[in-house]
Amino acid sequence: MTGSLIILQPGHSVVTDLGRTKGPAYGLPVNGALDQFSAKAANILAGNEDNDPLLELTALDFRMRATTDLLIAVTGAPLDLTVGGRDCPQWEPVSVRAGEVVAVRGIRTGLRAYIAVHGSFTVPSLLGSCAPDTVVGFGLKLVEGFRLETRKTTAPITQPHFGLPLFRLGLTQPAFTTNPVIDVTDGPDVAEFGETADLLFSTQYTVSPRSNHIGLRLGGALPERQLTSEVLSRGVPVGAIEIPSREELLVLHRGRGVTAGYPVLAVVTSRSLDILAQARPGHTITFRKTTVAEATAMHRTACLELDRLRNTITTVFGLLGIGAGQRWYELSPASGA
Amino acid sequence: MAATTTPTALDIFESGDAALRVVARSGDAEANWATVHSLAGWLATAGVDGIYGAVPTYDSVLVEFDPYVTSARQVRAFVLLGMRQLDFTGPAMREPRRFEVPVVYGGEYGPDLERVADHQGLDVEDVIARHTAKTYVIRCLGAPAGSPMMDGPDFPVPVPRLKDPRLSVPAGAVSVAGRQAVIAPAVAPGGWCVIGQTPLTVLDAAREPLVPYVPGDELRFYRIPADDFENFTGKFLEARP
Repeated sequence: MTGSLIILQPGHSVVTDLGRTKGPAYGLPVNGALDQFSAKAANILAGNEDNDPLLELTALDFRMRATTDLLIAVTGAPLDLTVGGRDCPQWEPVSVRAGEVVAVRGIRTGLRAYIAVHGSFTVPSLLGSCAPDTVVGFGLKLVEGFRLETRKTTAPITQPHFGLPLFRLGLTQPAFTTNPVIDVTDGPDVAEFGETADLLFSTQYTVSPRSNHIGLRLGGALPERQLTSEVLSRGVPVGAIEIPSREELLVLHRGRGVTAGYPVLAVVTSRSLDILAQARPGHTITFRKTTVAEATAMHRTACLELDRLRNTITTVFGLLGIGAGQRWYELSPASGA
Repeated sequence: MAATTTPTALDIFESGDAALRVVARSGDAEANWATVHSLAGWLATAGVDGIYGAVPTYDSVLVEFDPYVTSARQVRAFVLLGMRQLDFTGPAMREPRRFEVPVVYGGEYGPDLERVADHQGLDVEDVIARHTAKTYVIRCLGAPAGSPMMDGPDFPVPVPRLKDPRLSVPAGAVSVAGRQAVIAPAVAPGGWCVIGQTPLTVLDAAREPLVPYVPGDELRFYRIPADDFENFTGKFLEARP
């Protein structure tokens, strides 16, 4: 059975997924959830596929009303979550009864939060992704009164012993801080910066308010390119650190234009891009040098953590009868057998 | 820096834990371009687990992958395999298609036309004549939104970018900068000099592919008067039959 919810207070929210990975080959940014770990965790906790459409909230308070029974999970930056006026935990599956209001208030320390709904949403897609692309003009506009259709509805899960938490899943939540350490590997053009490249690791940078999903602008001592030759446009990875002006460092994030003509000083690791996605204007950032091998290992550790969570959820939801697919004995017999 | 050189004169650079930059170093720009585009095509069709896609431009291709499924080391080996294959078969470029693009030059459609003419020491008519004289090869798809990046017209000197980039350049803007030329498929900020505008729709999010051309296709501009602009509005840029 399909369900639905109505946006009461959109704040700054979008429906997104893990990104348009086919986009860059067509000159479109990958976009998608900026904190990929939190987005994946939300979907897993809601019993969805990792890449299913979900809500990304940035900074501002948000409210929605369930018009059918739903199961949701909220992850990302610390915040106050209430459902029907009751305080509810983040990083846990939460039942919402038809008519109840889900309110997210006071997103703090970090910048972005994710709400996944069991069964996810039926939304349009472009090149296999629902992620908004502001340049192409693609993506749902969430406004007050907008109704999102969900593919499933979930009867409330009741806890017989009052006051006990419904789930205890043991996920290690990421730490949120106002002065994160960000891991980077040497960029392909690091040599062009000579000895000034080391400034990146001895400077504290401050996040500028002009930062967004395209890139973060950071103020502080800037390495300087020692060459003046023109650079041919080339593909730049998400996480590339460039110095396009004398004022700020630019760290490209998932909304980045696919090609650029600036030398790449360093590249932020996949794991640290999630942390950077939570940096607010005014937060201070320190960079730490690592290797590709080390960065890959850290990314895989985070993925394994999510794999463990997925296994637990599959077991728990299976026992509760949520989200289980058809069993073999429920399938209709093959024709002509 | 971890760069390796292979018999086909290729440098491979680490670009974080989820991408490699592969640079062709044959000494010939045309050959480098054919190499990186053929390699990108090969990677796209080879269907390797964990490789999202490849972004080829002039002499380099960015190969993006999921570091959970594969690794920089494995992707590097795969790129070298692809190159050996291409060394054997030669670069595979398809037969180019031709696009013809009507443009209203100057005035509100091309606010930087006179500036460009002054800087080149040419008169405005001469700038238009040079811009329409050439058959352009689409070198790559760039930002924003699948822009056709082309080698610029036969101008005496490179065109400087605007000191203050515009916050919004309309879709269809026909621009030049440095030694390059481009059409804007969508509204976006821009620092290139806008010399004209085409009324044709270049990008349509409801159509697939989003833009009608691929790298290697050819494109020519022709001049139309301003009062002809409306006659083309709503029509799509399409390859000549």
